[in-house]
Amino acid sequence: MDENKRRRRGFPPSLYFILPATLTVGIIVAFPLFYAFFMSLFNWPLVGAQRTFIGLGNYLSMFEDNEFINSVLRQVGVVVIAVPIELIIGFFVAILFDRKFPGSKILRSLVLLPAFVLPVLSGLTWRLMLAPQYGPLTYLMQIMGFPNQAWLANPQLAYATVIIQDVWRMWPFMFAFIYGGLMNVPKELIEAAKIDGSGFWNTILKILLPVLEPTIAIAVMFRIVDILRIFPEVYVMTGGGPGDATMLFSLYIQEQAFSFFNIGYASAMSMLLLAVSIVIAIFLAKNVFEANES
Amino acid sequence: MKKKTIIRYILIVAIFVITILEIAPIILIILNSFKTDKEIWFGNPFSFFIPTLNSYHNVISSTTFTHGLLISLIVGVLVTIISVMLGALAAYGLTRFKFRGRNVIAYSMLSSRMIPQLALMVPFYMLFRTFGMLDMTPSLVIAYISFNIPYAIWMLLPFFASVPKSFEEAATIDGASRNQIFWRIVLPLAVPGLSVASIFVFINSWNEFLYALILTGSKDQTAPIAIMGYLGEYTPKWGEISAAGMIMLIPAFIIALFMQKYVIEGLSIGGVKG
Repeated sequence: MDENKRRRRGFPPSLYFILPATLTVGIIVAFPLFYAFFMSLFNWPLVGAQRTFIGLGNYLSMFEDNEFINSVLRQVGVVVIAVPIELIIGFFVAILFDRKFPGSKILRSLVLLPAFVLPVLSGLTWRLMLAPQYGPLTYLMQIMGFPNQAWLANPQLAYATVIIQDVWRMWPFMFAFIYGGLMNVPKELIEAAKIDGSGFWNTILKILLPVLEPTIAIAVMFRIVDILRIFPEVYVMTGGGPGDATMLFSLYIQEQAFSFFNIGYASAMSMLLLAVSIVIAIFLAKNVFEANES
Repeated sequence: MKKKTIIRYILIVAIFVITILEIAPIILIILNSFKTDKEIWFGNPFSFFIPTLNSYHNVISSTTFTHGLLISLIVGVLVTIISVMLGALAAYGLTRFKFRGRNVIAYSMLSSRMIPQLALMVPFYMLFRTFGMLDMTPSLVIAYISFNIPYAIWMLLPFFASVPKSFEEAATIDGASRNQIFWRIVLPLAVPGLSVASIFVFINSWNEFLYALILTGSKDQTAPIAIMGYLGEYTPKWGEISAAGMIMLIPAFIIALFMQKYVIEGLSIGGVKG
């Protein structure tokens, strides 16, 4: 084995495995990111006029741009409202499913289906369900005594719908994580709690939550990073409207870049989004990588 | 004892109700794909209707959509092969070798899985425009592997970490090279992981919308963008949207119904292992 090693000294075997992916990602991820940073230092119109170097000007103008601030707040609002709801539903449904009964496998798969539905199709379907006159949900609401209204034309309701749509599509993701985690909880632990006469809530608080905490933490972080890039659903459902009611940060970047052609400004906002994601990512990566080390 | 059985039945009924509510929108897509646009616009959404394949016929005979499907399929397959292959090599390298800079590479690979596609949207657009590569399939493949290689590494790490080292040690003694060990011994053992990663990478690419919207025009449009085209100016063609959506959902149905054991594993990989 030693001889083998010496013969290959010129080219460490680890490089053979690591290099292809590292080089590819370096070229197609790291380079564009540096380029985005470069662009963010310019007043850079997409068409026509010359670009001019303005240093950190784009970053400074973000703080004076009310639309930017509002779009960030709306995005944060979606995260803060949707993720906890998804977590709670996912958690309790996982506990519900943690028993054997005929058809449990197929039901479990069906419940997970929405997580695989194309975001664009999900957005369109919710738009249809809430359409005035013929939307099935509008129809049911009418039977229940609500007025026949265009849900997505009302700012508050449109914003709520963006959240409801995301909860519908993504609580199954939380469910999958927590259900997977539950499978790893030793059954004796739960049995022991039952024998001790521990009630339902007590078992959850004292036994399940502490054991599942790392799983839940990772699931929540995955969701936060993913919900920061929510785009197609909202783009086809409301297009950011009515007015600016559902103009989330992600839609605002796209609008600045491709409707207002402010490439430099959009790049600066991308950098901000990147910074936030990286902070969450490093934390997550550390967790996962270290877990695989042992 | 009796009270316990009653509770058990109530809980099972609850599971059924939750499942039906959860898939109601998908059932709606299925039903609408067999209705005509007129029935959807003017009919009672819950009334009986005579199923028709009209929308499917329209969708399949539209070259915009079938061409989009073809592009989506080509891009999806290429992205899956490239990402999973490079991802498998890297995941193996990271779990088996100790070398300088290993942690840096591991962390940057894993954190790039978290980079939002949105952050790369503008630079990709500008770079592809500079190189005259807008509206071309290779640009989409490049854009998609940018987030799928880190994703594949992320998914594959636990699988390679769990391949017992003793197999490899035995092979080393028999004089096999590192290369041979990887291709003949480790890779076959990692097939379950490779399948899970392939499925999820394919779905990532199949469902992608943002890059397709920005980077393609009329020529190399993918299917998700073509579906949006059915929204029209004033009157959305819901029948066509649903029929096209059903076709796009085929991979999701296959996964959910025939690859059940991979789904939870795939979705929760970080969670179970973390």
